[in-house]
Amino acid sequence: MNNALYRFVFITAAFFFFSEVNAQLAGYNSFKLEKDNRQVKINTLFKNNQGYLYAGTDNGLYKFDGIKYTRINFNNAEFNDTVTAIFQDRGNKMWIGFRSGRIANVINNKLQYFNPEEGTPQKKITSFLQDSEGNLWFSTQGEGVYCLKQKRLYLVNADDGLSDNNVSKIILADNDEILAGTDQGINICTFKNGKKTISVIGTQEGLPDYIVTEIIKAGKNAFWIGLQDKGFCLYDRSNNKITIPKAAEEWKPGQINAMLQAQDILWIATQNNGFYKYTPHTNSLSKVPESEVGNNINALLEDNQGNLWLSSAGIGLVRSPGESLKLIPIPGSPPFEHIHTILCDRNGNIWLTNKANELIKFSAKNGSSSEQKLHLNGITEKTDITSLFEDLYGNIWVGSMGKGIYIVNPKTFKYRVLTENNLFINSSILSINGKENTVFCSSLSGAMVVELLPENKDIFNSYRFTNYDNKSTGTNYIYSIFKDSRGRILFATDGKGLTMLRDDRFTYYNDLEKIKDNRIYSITEDRKGNIWFSTSNAGIYKFDGKAFVNFGINEGISNLNISVLKTDNAGNIIVVHKTGLDILDPETGNISYIGSGQGLSEINAQDIGAVTNDTAGNIMLSTVAGILTYSSQPNAVQRPVTLIESVQLFLKDINDTTWHVFSHDENNFTFNYTGLYYTDPEKVFYKYKLEGFDTNWVITNDRTKNFPKLGPGRYSFRIQSALNRNFNNADEATYSFIIKQAFYKTWWFILICLLAIASLLYLYIKNREKELKKIESLRQEKIQFQFEVLRNQINPHFLFNSFNTLISAIEDEPHQAVEYAEHLSAFFRNVVNQRDKDLITLNDEINHLYSYIFIQERRYGEWLMMDILVSEEQKKVFYVPPLSLQLLLENAIKHNAVSKEAPLHIRISVTEDNYLSIRNNKNAKSGKEKGAGMGLQNIISRYKLLTDKPVTVINDRQYFIVLLPLLN
Amino acid sequence: MHTEGIAQKIYSTNKGSISFRSDAPLELITASSNELLGRVDIEKKIFAFIIKINSFAGFNSPLQREHFNENYLETTQFPTASFTGKIIEDIDFSIDGTYTIRAKGSLSIHGVVQERIIKSEVTVKKGLINIKSDFTVLLSDHNIAIPKVVHEKLASEIKVEVKADLTSP
Repeated sequence: MNNALYRFVFITAAFFFFSEVNAQLAGYNSFKLEKDNRQVKINTLFKNNQGYLYAGTDNGLYKFDGIKYTRINFNNAEFNDTVTAIFQDRGNKMWIGFRSGRIANVINNKLQYFNPEEGTPQKKITSFLQDSEGNLWFSTQGEGVYCLKQKRLYLVNADDGLSDNNVSKIILADNDEILAGTDQGINICTFKNGKKTISVIGTQEGLPDYIVTEIIKAGKNAFWIGLQDKGFCLYDRSNNKITIPKAAEEWKPGQINAMLQAQDILWIATQNNGFYKYTPHTNSLSKVPESEVGNNINALLEDNQGNLWLSSAGIGLVRSPGESLKLIPIPGSPPFEHIHTILCDRNGNIWLTNKANELIKFSAKNGSSSEQKLHLNGITEKTDITSLFEDLYGNIWVGSMGKGIYIVNPKTFKYRVLTENNLFINSSILSINGKENTVFCSSLSGAMVVELLPENKDIFNSYRFTNYDNKSTGTNYIYSIFKDSRGRILFATDGKGLTMLRDDRFTYYNDLEKIKDNRIYSITEDRKGNIWFSTSNAGIYKFDGKAFVNFGINEGISNLNISVLKTDNAGNIIVVHKTGLDILDPETGNISYIGSGQGLSEINAQDIGAVTNDTAGNIMLSTVAGILTYSSQPNAVQRPVTLIESVQLFLKDINDTTWHVFSHDENNFTFNYTGLYYTDPEKVFYKYKLEGFDTNWVITNDRTKNFPKLGPGRYSFRIQSALNRNFNNADEATYSFIIKQAFYKTWWFILICLLAIASLLYLYIKNREKELKKIESLRQEKIQFQFEVLRNQINPHFLFNSFNTLISAIEDEPHQAVEYAEHLSAFFRNVVNQRDKDLITLNDEINHLYSYIFIQERRYGEWLMMDILVSEEQKKVFYVPPLSLQLLLENAIKHNAVSKEAPLHIRISVTEDNYLSIRNNKNAKSGKEKGAGMGLQNIISRYKLLTDKPVTVINDRQYFIVLLPLLN
Repeated sequence: MHTEGIAQKIYSTNKGSISFRSDAPLELITASSNELLGRVDIEKKIFAFIIKINSFAGFNSPLQREHFNENYLETTQFPTASFTGKIIEDIDFSIDGTYTIRAKGSLSIHGVVQERIIKSEVTVKKGLINIKSDFTVLLSDHNIAIPKVVHEKLASEIKVEVKADLTSP
């Protein structure tokens, strides 16, 4: 009993010693940030709410997607400032603090200075925080701590009782207490209802050093305090207690610059002495070799995939897989390419073989490591050892090619060859595994199941076994055997596929199910009891007891050349191939990958036995670089986060990302997107589809996509990112937008056009109708006029008078009678000739008038006086409706007495404003002649149809004047 | 440097000018006073400024002034407003030049003391210190109630401008 207890203690100590002291971090990758061929110094690292990494540098702010840095410029390109602090508040607003004391926000991907009325600090900004009320706090190196409360800036400094104005870090504790690390201890500040309280935790309160350089959260209201000289300590705010870990008691590495707690590990970055790892529950502290990360490390960060990032003054930004991958250095170990099999026994000893195929037990004890070699009789350099297995009693089973099985007592190193089973003498063993008191041996000549009995504690007692050959398993070639949680025994065979033994009955699944490969290498079981197995070239299968589900390249397996399947400490299925590990979450089917990016390369994937589980259930595997352990971190199988970084219109960033409506000629879109996956960003594939444009998804590894000349419509750019082309659970980002129709294609514009055309047409028709009516009425008027004229001329009075005049002339002056008759004839001819015309020249009208005047003058003699005062020029230029003057003359003669006592004086003249004036003096007749007024009315109507100018009639006491507008 | 006696370290004025401006949607109220008392100890970097509220003049109407004194600032009860505190920046005021400084102190208006940081431009020239500053005062910060009726006539934020030439005696 005592002995056993002692052994247990020894074992645990040895194990921790092993994993803590000698374990190194594997897979460091550095990402240099350079400007003009000079390394840009990174001062601070930050991860935003989306998981995006930001670096605050001497050359401003950069964001980093795992591959490239993108500088975030100021809105004024001339500004530049050294970034010393980065923060994102709960409203997702980013706050950037500078060495100059100024502060900026990131607005539309541009830095914009924040200018409070109170002015900005003059001293370096060291950190930000936001309290529960939403107030923003920031600390300065020299001015104390500021609080931005409802747009107003307040200062907590030495005047208020702050122990020192140099504040390196502030952090929020419970109850909105602000812990400020200063050059004079920790200050606990509150600022409520305009009242400040400050209490100081200094060396008197137990702080080992008064200069505090870093504070991070350690747990519930507990904090790790990093110090300038005396290491670190734990401050529990709830009981106000300071605890100094034993490992930090004699602290030598000097100033702590940054700390990071990732799961159970505290990472510590120092100013001059590199990088440390502290495990609180074992109180062990170990240093990461300087050559890997440099001496001066100023910032630490853990990304969302569990990678550890640090910024090192010499090397730049460095990524390490953190706790997930550890290299186990084995001093003086053989070249690793000769290792076909490894075993980690229950004591944490590592068993392996060397080039000479000697068995080596590697163990660590009391801070030093030791190795023991065992040459097995009969094994030569040419006899490969393929498998190692530790049975229930701790005895080591060794499988060889051609020499059967050896069993070794791990303490005495006494051994023997298993001879009691004829089938296995000199056989070629492919694997040995087992469970509880069962040992399975797989060989090229069948399988052996050994039931361990208590006497088998001693290797020299004989074993009880059952053999299975091709009669039962279907083939003699068996790669491995697995006993699942329900007691079923599964055989991975070459040629017969998966064979299951249950209740003494064999089931040959490859005969029953569509399993694409008859060569099965390795079998494991997940926590839900599903069976997983790997095939030689058809990927892996999941068997839930009913159906088989295949996982190949399309499902996210990165390489079909799979050697082993293992279930790890976190329950993930680990798929081992030469270039790396696929880590499959059996719950979701999500698969992530680690490989060369994490320092994993040249894995010994030839041998089934080269991968094992260590005592903690982690995966231990042998690579050319050495033996590594992989342990899944909580977020190991996290899918990439898809982000649309920017949307560009004609290659210019669209500023306002909320307004997504564009005009018809804003049609050239570029989308820049990222699938954030810091573990292996190069492995991220993208699948996009522009809804409204593409009909199919397009898979690419470009991180930008341009769509020129998009037509009007509604669009939605959908982008997914995933590892290994498996988009089943991919994260998606979308950007929806609308390109509007050109205005001349919009329905309302077309409608307006149609309406306009319709109304134009309507107006035209109306006008035309009016025109036709006008023409019609003109015609009517003309006919009326002609009728009037004719009626006047055929007026019996006129004829009677004319004939009387003619008769008297024939009697008295016969030659004059001829002239009179000629005029009378010309007069009637005129009337007949002119009646169809609309307009005639004034000249023609006046010429015709002379015939009429001649006729009338014969009748009235000198009592009718006519003055025509129209120039020849005017006669040619102006037009009048035919017979209009004649009609007016007739009217004048008709309505007035013409006698010696009352001579009639008619004057025709042109007024200054181009009216033809026909004026006569008034000698009104007593009786009114019939038809009076018809003629004048007719003229007025005709003029109305010809011109807008009115015919004016002036009828005063002396004169009757008609003013006819002259037409050109 | 300052060995010539205490007088050299303290600069003062009793006729500094202060004006305020309330730019409400319906009414613009401005008033000013030239009776600002100020004292700055350039060595200790402390200062005190005080103004009698009833010295403000230049209101739009006597009625407005009456309201200002009686209803809003209650001058009989709280006759003065003051700002006292310390200069944050470490500036040597014995050297001529123009400096932007921030003063952290207690602003007392209407009997309510608020901690404030006020940015100022200070010009030192031949033993004269000229201070120029503008800042805003939130009425609610100082318990100055605005009746609903005049809420369109009085801005909730008052802009204050201070100019003072300080000399050492």
